[in-house]
Amino acid sequence: MTAGPPYTIVLGVIGADCHSVGNKILDAFFTDAGFRVVNLGVMVSRDEFIDAAIESDARAILVSSLYGHGEIDCAGLRERCIERGLDSVLLYAGGNLVVGKRPFAEIEAKFKAMGFDRVFPPSVDLHAAAALLRADIEEAVHART
Amino acid sequence: MPAPRWAVCVDIGSTFTKGAVFGFEGGEGRIAARAEAPTTPGDLARGFEAVRRELFARARANEPGFAAEDAIVRFSSSARGGLRIAAIGIVPDLTLAVARLAAASAGGKIVKSFAYTLTADDVAALETLDPDIVLLTGGTDGGDEKHNLANAAALAGARISSTIIYAGNRTARDAVAGILAGKRCIAVDNVMPEVGAVRVEPAREAIRRVFLDTIVEGKGLAALVDSLGVAPKPTPLAVFELVRALSEECPEWRDVCLLDIGGATTDCYSAVEPFRGEPSVVLHGIREPRLTRTVEGDCGLRVSAEALFESGRALIERELGSPPLEILAFAVYIGLVARYPAYLAAEARETRFDAIMARTCAALALRRHAGVLRTVYTAGGKAWVQRGKDLRAVRRVIGTGGYLARIAEEDFLARALAALVPEPEERFLVPEAPVLYADRNHVVPLIGSLAAEYPREAARLLARSLRPVAGDVAQERNRRP
Repeated sequence: MTAGPPYTIVLGVIGADCHSVGNKILDAFFTDAGFRVVNLGVMVSRDEFIDAAIESDARAILVSSLYGHGEIDCAGLRERCIERGLDSVLLYAGGNLVVGKRPFAEIEAKFKAMGFDRVFPPSVDLHAAAALLRADIEEAVHART
Repeated sequence: MPAPRWAVCVDIGSTFTKGAVFGFEGGEGRIAARAEAPTTPGDLARGFEAVRRELFARARANEPGFAAEDAIVRFSSSARGGLRIAAIGIVPDLTLAVARLAAASAGGKIVKSFAYTLTADDVAALETLDPDIVLLTGGTDGGDEKHNLANAAALAGARISSTIIYAGNRTARDAVAGILAGKRCIAVDNVMPEVGAVRVEPAREAIRRVFLDTIVEGKGLAALVDSLGVAPKPTPLAVFELVRALSEECPEWRDVCLLDIGGATTDCYSAVEPFRGEPSVVLHGIREPRLTRTVEGDCGLRVSAEALFESGRALIERELGSPPLEILAFAVYIGLVARYPAYLAAEARETRFDAIMARTCAALALRRHAGVLRTVYTAGGKAWVQRGKDLRAVRRVIGTGGYLARIAEEDFLARALAALVPEPEERFLVPEAPVLYADRNHVVPLIGSLAAEYPREAARLLARSLRPVAGDVAQERNRRP
C-alpha cells in the first residue's frame, strides 16, 4: 500500500471503554499501510499512551473512543504530552467522541481546541486517513529538520 | 546428564558458610551430611575448606559407601550481600520496570533506579554508590534513542568503576558502545524490544558473567575456582534456577511461589502463568515472564528491621493488637535486633515479635510481587484491568530462610497470607488457596547450585525434603474479624 518509511504510531481506546473490534481493524489496517503500530488495546489511560509513545519514539498517537465519554477522557492529553516532553507528537482522535447527536463540525472544533491535530467521525475512509497521517508526519519531520 | 553419585554443595553467605552432601545412589536423592562454619570475609576459601572437610568427615561416618573422589562439588555465594546493580530506564512503568526485573532475576541487589535522563545529582549519587553494574536500558527496538545517548554520555563522564551493561534500543547500540568506549561496557539484546514485551535472558546472562569476574576477584575464590574447575553462582540465581527446575520437572509443583525471608531482605520467586486471559480482564503495562524474582530491601528480620517497622506499620499494629505498651516493646525489640543482627529471641514475647516480623515480611513481599486487579465500570458493565502478575493459581507456597529453618510457628505462612485483606475495588493477585510448605532443613540454596545441571534430580530432592505445614489460608481469613 502506501510506500514510505515505517513511522511508529501508538494506537488505543481511551478511558473505561472496552470496544475492541474497531481497535483491531485499525491495528491491521495501519500495519498493512506500512506503519509500525504499537497497539495498547482497550481501556488505556492518558499516561499509558504517553509512556508508550516516549519509549517507541512515536510520531503520532491515535486515540479511539466509542462510548461517548471521549471528551472527558481526552481533555488534557495535549498538555500532558507537553509536560512529559512529547512536544511534537501528532494527536488524532476518532469515533463516537461525545454523547448525543451534535454536528460533527462542532465536535471537531472542540477537539482541535483541546490540541488534537485531526478529528474523525465514526465512519471514515481509512485509506484517506492513512494518507493524511503520513502527510502530517512527513510535514512534522520536515518542520523539525 | 546422568546424576552424580554424590554432590557436595556449599553456600557462602555473609555470616555463615553452609554445606550439605547429597546422595543420589538408587534414584532418589537424600541428605547425607550437613555442616556449617563462620564465613571468613578476608579469604572466603578458608571457610569453604573448613565446611568441606567437616562434610567429608560426616559423610564418611554416615554413609559407608561415600567416597570423596565420586563427589562433584558445586557452590554459590551471596557474600558482600550480592551484586550491587543500578538500573536505568526511560519510563518508570516500562523499561525501568523491566530493567529492575532483569536485575532481580539475575540475583542482583538493586541499589538505585533512575528514570528518563540522568541529572548531575544522579551522576553524583552513582559515583558515591559505585555499583558493580549499571544496567542501562531504554526505548523499544527502533524507538527512542536520545535518552540512551544522553545517559551514555553522562556515564562516560562519571567517576565509576562499574561494568555498564547496555540492554536498550538496538538501533542506538553502536552509538552507545562508542560513547562508552573508555568504560567496561557489554552490549546485549534489548530487555523490552516492543512496548510491554519482556526479554530479560540476555541481560541476565551478562549480569551472571560480571558476577563471576567480580566475585572471584581477590577474595580467595580464584584459587578455589582453579582447583575445583567450577565457578560459584550468585545464591539468588541458584534459587531462581531451582524454582524453575521444580516447576518444570514436578507436575504437582508447576505453579509455585517461594519466599526467602532473611535478615536483610525478603525475596519472592514465582513460576506461574502471569495472565489468565479471562473475559472482561485486560492486561496493561509489561507482561511479566512465567518465572520472576523480586527483592524487598525493606523487609528483613534483623538488618532491615527498622525499615520493616516503617513499611509494614499497619500490618504490624493489627497483629500486635490493642495493648498500647506492646507497640513500645516491639519498637524497642526492633532497635535491638537491628543493632545486633545475631541476636536470637530469648523469651516468649520476643519469639512472638519475630513471628510478627516474619509474617509481615512474607505478606509485604507477596503483595508487591503480585499484580493488582482493578475494577472498572464501563458502559457495557463491569470490567477489570490487571497490572503485574496473577499469582492466584499458585497451588503451593514454599517458605525458606534461617528463621523458618530455626523456629517459625507452624501456621505462620497461613497467617501471613490471611493478613492481606482484599480491598473492594482493588484486589491483590496473591495465591488464593495454596498449600504451604517449609524448608525446615534449609536446603533450598544448597540444592539450588545443582538445579541448572541436574534439574530433575534437584527438583525431586527438594520436593522430598519440604514439609507441608499446618494452617489453612481460607480458614485463617474467616477467623479474622
